[in-house]
Amino acid sequence: MSTTVIAPLLVALCTAILTLLTRPNLRLLQGVSLLGAVAYLGAVAALFDRVVGGETLVYQVGDWAAPFGITLVGDALAAFMLGLAAIVSVGVLAHAVLYVDDFGQRLSFHPLYHFMMVGVSGSFLTGDIFNLFVWFEVMLMSSYVLVLFYGGKQHTRAALNYVVLNLLGSAVMLVAIGGIYATTGTLNMADLARRLADPAAYDVNVLPVLGLAAVLFSVFALKAGLVPFQFWVPAAYRAAPAPVTAMLAGVVKKVGVYAVVRLYFTIFAAASLPRALSLPGLAGDSALDFFGPVLFLMAAASVLFGGVGAVGRDDLDSVLAYSSISQVGFIVLPLAVAATVPSVRILGVTACLVYAFNHGLAKSLLFLVAGTVRESVGSTDFADLGGVAGRSPVLSAAFFVGALSLVGVPPLSGFFGKFLVFDVAARAFATGAAGAAATLAVALLGAVLTIAYYTRAWNAAFWGEPSERVEEFLGDDGSVVPDGGQSTAEAALSLGGMVVVLVAFAVAVVAFGIGFDVLYGAAEAAARAAVDTGGYVDAVAPAEVVE
Amino acid sequence: MPPTTDVVLAVVFLPFVAAAVTPLVFRLLGERTAYYAAAVALACFALVSKLYFAGAHGSVAVEWIPSLGVSLAFYVDGLALLVAFLASGVGVLILTYSGGYMHGEPGQAKYYASLLAFMGSMLGVALAADLVALFVFWELTSLSSFLLIGHYTGEEASKYAARKSMLITVSGGLFMLVGFLVLVWASGQALPETTYRIPVLIEHADAVRTALGDAGLLVPVLLLLALGAGTKSAQVPFHIWLPNAMEAPTPVSAFLHSATMVKAGVYLVGRFRPLFLPPEAPILGEWTTLFAVLGLLTMTVAAVLAVSATDIKELLAYSTASHLGLIVAGFGFANAYGAEAGAFHILNHASFKAALFLVAGIVAHEAGTRDIAKLGGLRKHLPVTAVVAVVASLSMAGVPPFNGFYSKELLFEATYYAAEEMGGVGWLFPVVAVFGSVFTFLYSIKFASLFFGDEPDGLGHVHRPPVTMLVPPAVLGVLVLAISGQPNAFIEGLVGGVYGSVVPGDAHSFSVHLPTELSPYFVMSLVTMALGAVLFPFYDRIHAGVRTLLSGPVRANWWYDNAVDGATALSKRVTPLVQNGLLRTYVIWALAAVCALALGGYAALGVSLPPLTELAVTTPILLVLLVAVVGAFAVGIAPSHVAGVLTLSIVGFMVAIFYILADAPDLALTQLVVETLVLVIFLLVLDRLPAFYGRPRAAVAVRDAALSLVVGVTVFVTVLVSTASNPNKALAQFLAERAGVPSEHGSLIVDYGGGGNVVNVILVDFRGFDTLGEISVVAMAAIAVLTLIRMRSRGETQ
Repeated sequence: MSTTVIAPLLVALCTAILTLLTRPNLRLLQGVSLLGAVAYLGAVAALFDRVVGGETLVYQVGDWAAPFGITLVGDALAAFMLGLAAIVSVGVLAHAVLYVDDFGQRLSFHPLYHFMMVGVSGSFLTGDIFNLFVWFEVMLMSSYVLVLFYGGKQHTRAALNYVVLNLLGSAVMLVAIGGIYATTGTLNMADLARRLADPAAYDVNVLPVLGLAAVLFSVFALKAGLVPFQFWVPAAYRAAPAPVTAMLAGVVKKVGVYAVVRLYFTIFAAASLPRALSLPGLAGDSALDFFGPVLFLMAAASVLFGGVGAVGRDDLDSVLAYSSISQVGFIVLPLAVAATVPSVRILGVTACLVYAFNHGLAKSLLFLVAGTVRESVGSTDFADLGGVAGRSPVLSAAFFVGALSLVGVPPLSGFFGKFLVFDVAARAFATGAAGAAATLAVALLGAVLTIAYYTRAWNAAFWGEPSERVEEFLGDDGSVVPDGGQSTAEAALSLGGMVVVLVAFAVAVVAFGIGFDVLYGAAEAAARAAVDTGGYVDAVAPAEVVE
Repeated sequence: MPPTTDVVLAVVFLPFVAAAVTPLVFRLLGERTAYYAAAVALACFALVSKLYFAGAHGSVAVEWIPSLGVSLAFYVDGLALLVAFLASGVGVLILTYSGGYMHGEPGQAKYYASLLAFMGSMLGVALAADLVALFVFWELTSLSSFLLIGHYTGEEASKYAARKSMLITVSGGLFMLVGFLVLVWASGQALPETTYRIPVLIEHADAVRTALGDAGLLVPVLLLLALGAGTKSAQVPFHIWLPNAMEAPTPVSAFLHSATMVKAGVYLVGRFRPLFLPPEAPILGEWTTLFAVLGLLTMTVAAVLAVSATDIKELLAYSTASHLGLIVAGFGFANAYGAEAGAFHILNHASFKAALFLVAGIVAHEAGTRDIAKLGGLRKHLPVTAVVAVVASLSMAGVPPFNGFYSKELLFEATYYAAEEMGGVGWLFPVVAVFGSVFTFLYSIKFASLFFGDEPDGLGHVHRPPVTMLVPPAVLGVLVLAISGQPNAFIEGLVGGVYGSVVPGDAHSFSVHLPTELSPYFVMSLVTMALGAVLFPFYDRIHAGVRTLLSGPVRANWWYDNAVDGATALSKRVTPLVQNGLLRTYVIWALAAVCALALGGYAALGVSLPPLTELAVTTPILLVLLVAVVGAFAVGIAPSHVAGVLTLSIVGFMVAIFYILADAPDLALTQLVVETLVLVIFLLVLDRLPAFYGRPRAAVAVRDAALSLVVGVTVFVTVLVSTASNPNKALAQFLAERAGVPSEHGSLIVDYGGGGNVVNVILVDFRGFDTLGEISVVAMAAIAVLTLIRMRSRGETQ
């Protein structure tokens, strides 16, 4: 039993409650909120430090032994994902304090934000599939409100689509969880893995589990925004306040990816299927042999649809939103290879995690840049932009770094994401694995599309002759011409603060690239933990209950 | 002796550090930053010289990513030293020249920082011994090139050119990266340990090649590397970005787009040549087929295009692509002459082409135009420049005794011997080489002729260039003359080492001589010059003829523009179709995918449905469920919202009764409460919605009905197959046994759970953590209502 495991969740929960209580005093509220995010980072760092060596820490809530109560599991994989969430969250929150208007901050922004972090942390830490559902709901409920935060027509419309699709997802998830419980007799993930590995001992009929796991998979694909579940992404990302979008794209999407890694590589991979798969295009006798091709189709469709979608968009937010669909495809692509080719399994999961980490940093950075541009110029439409680089070079440099990182230019952290994705695909290709050539082709085409849409956005928004709006709102010397009721000094200070946050993100993108060894070590430890079903089960040690 | 780590690291990283502080320096020095940057380049040149004179040869490495086996490893040999000399030496001249050229131009701090960063990257490319390190510097050169091409950020043409170069070179780089990764994989098969080190790969060339060949990967790897080298070195059909890159300030064109960056591709071909071309290589192996053909094709096509140019920088750009093709072709041939031609031409081309670009810069700067038709008779105004131009042009044309002649003669020699050995179609090599060289001769003479003859009418006053702009091309002109006069001294001192780097096995030098007899390849040179001289009077006609041929799909640009515009058009067409804003569409796709996944999962393992006869359903349950089904159907055809909601509540209440019949009173109570509440809320809200949305089209209704049927079947099958199994329910049993009055079953529930009702204890204790989460959701629902009302009533969006 280790309280280090539950600490991040408790810190986020306490911060959420404290920000509800301190509403009367805005400065105090903001202080508590920021302090909470920093404390969260501290709690995550403490957990990370203990588990990065390969140890798995377990916290049995209420001291009820697994599988009677709910188990929280902190291993290298959970710690890696929490680390991503914590790092991005601190920066995003600092930006939000400056970006979101005082009225909204005082009203409900901060509690909702921290409840979202509660949901995210719970999802990463839980070792129980029903509890996972609960944390998904916490995360979703707060994100529903944050998406329609501004309450305008287009926000409500986007939120409606987002809510309906996710409610549908929740219903589907309940069907799957109910089915899994009825079939296997447990909700505890470790117990589930144990029962699936030795079904005879527990009278479990494994056959329906594959279909049930597939139903559950669709929910995670929905969270991750993979094609054909991507529909909610563009409108919701455009509608939400920029810092919220940064979190949704940078962190919340990754919860879906994490769930796929945890449940399919740690838990369902252990299932011993009584017979081989028999559908055209499928072969093998592991659950992963079924999900490999599924992951590939979804990832490939996402990479291509998102990439093609982004090339023709005429505003910064939409380019980034479609890019997000494409980039999640890149995150999942190595998982598809890892699922079907056992020899690169650890490398594939590592690639997925490294890519996810970089995408978390870089895409959050880009959405914050878009938000800052909107704040200073009043629009992100290309028709209203142009020449921002000449007027606001630091802001533009931050965008440049983020975009290049997603393109995969060294030595930025994004390069290593691409590097590892290519490495996984190339190794599979070299060993003659089926579908590896297609994977490589998709990855390369997707990368070319990435260059195409980021250079187009760069040319349209940052280079070129300054537009009238840019002339009007950005001074020749980069100063901000005020709009609304804010005084020049205040507006400039707030914008300057936002740019500082952006620079911090850009520096992180560079630093994690140059110091990649640290990131790689963490990701590889996480990948090892992800495929170590035995270690996971032993750590949780579900009690043997005899009938 | 092995090189000193400090010196090598200083060579590579000094320019980056200098680039980082350039904005500060610019505040202090203003336009004189040019000389600061030139001093940095000079320091690098001195450091490279230090390595050279110390006779350095071998590897140094600094740890970078030990867990991947990737290091910042550098390797010093002849090829590396030559490219490093070019990068730093030409750098000194270019940066000095910029001091005059960039006078009064915008964005100078960025300009010098980018140029210095570029120089560091190029030095890194030249010296890198680790594949990842090489790739890092490789992409950084593309990046600085992007920024420098887009220097005049307001110009549409600059933006177009920058994006084009980025798309082509960075994409090519990514393909090359895949090639590198396959090579690394092969090293793991061939050697005891996987390696990223190029010298190690070359040392075990045979084993690596065998591993690649066994896996059938030799040709794919060659193609991937060729894509990287070909895009960077503007080989056909990727040559198209280079003429557009001339939007950059002329010093950039001279530095990046002729002397150094575009040499990275041919450098790569030379670097990997000993790996793929063993001493006993067949005359027309995979390597030669690929690179000799690619190189000769580029040499010829680009030379023809150069004749079609109307702008002096465009002419030089195509000419650069053509000469890079010559080097690639040289490296492509398996015989020694090819390697000699490639090695020597790297130096020769850099010397005459950089000089010519600087001449072009002077012409553009002082005459105010780059249009070939508007230039002529410049000799009177620009005497020194004219001398440099003539010397460099003759060298470019391959006229003896200038240095360009020697390397071209070596290429002719290589093609001749290859043809002689092959026979048959092999004779195409020398024929194509001569054909391309005729055009090279033509445009070279055309360039020189701009300084002679009469001044065209439109030409305004031509100024004298400042001395900072005159000295660098003059230095390069002198270099051309020096190499021409003493070719063997330069070969002995520098190019011989390059030759040693690009051939397998032990290095040995070579020498060149002016022809003393009528050898076949000297005849080729004579034919080239004779044909060129005969055709030169018809230059304008050839120029016009080529231009009329170039239209539509013949031009690689046509393909590029159509691909890029096509992608944008495709995006604008497809995206609104998919993301049509209709929730109905979104739900259909999502539900269909769920059903496909579920049914696919069951089908993949051949799950069989339990026989329906085994379902123990009592008559009351059956009746209740039938009513629910009828209610559900009625919802679908309800004529109004109110009717729909009321019918829906029939379903809900039937489910509640089902719970009662199934011995779950707690659930039934919850369901009844929720059902009642929802009904009331619905009726309150419906009052504010439009009464009727209109009838769906018949096709839509049928589609929706079919999908709902599939969803129903999927859920039904899911329930059937999952309730059919009867797993060990120890967990449920354990709790159920203790659920009753504690005295019979021990006091676990009461003592530890603090309650007598097992359902309650599960909710608030065993799974109290779930409840905590659900309470948060309820709290947030309240906050949601508050937010919606307050934000909306505020009546404005941020």
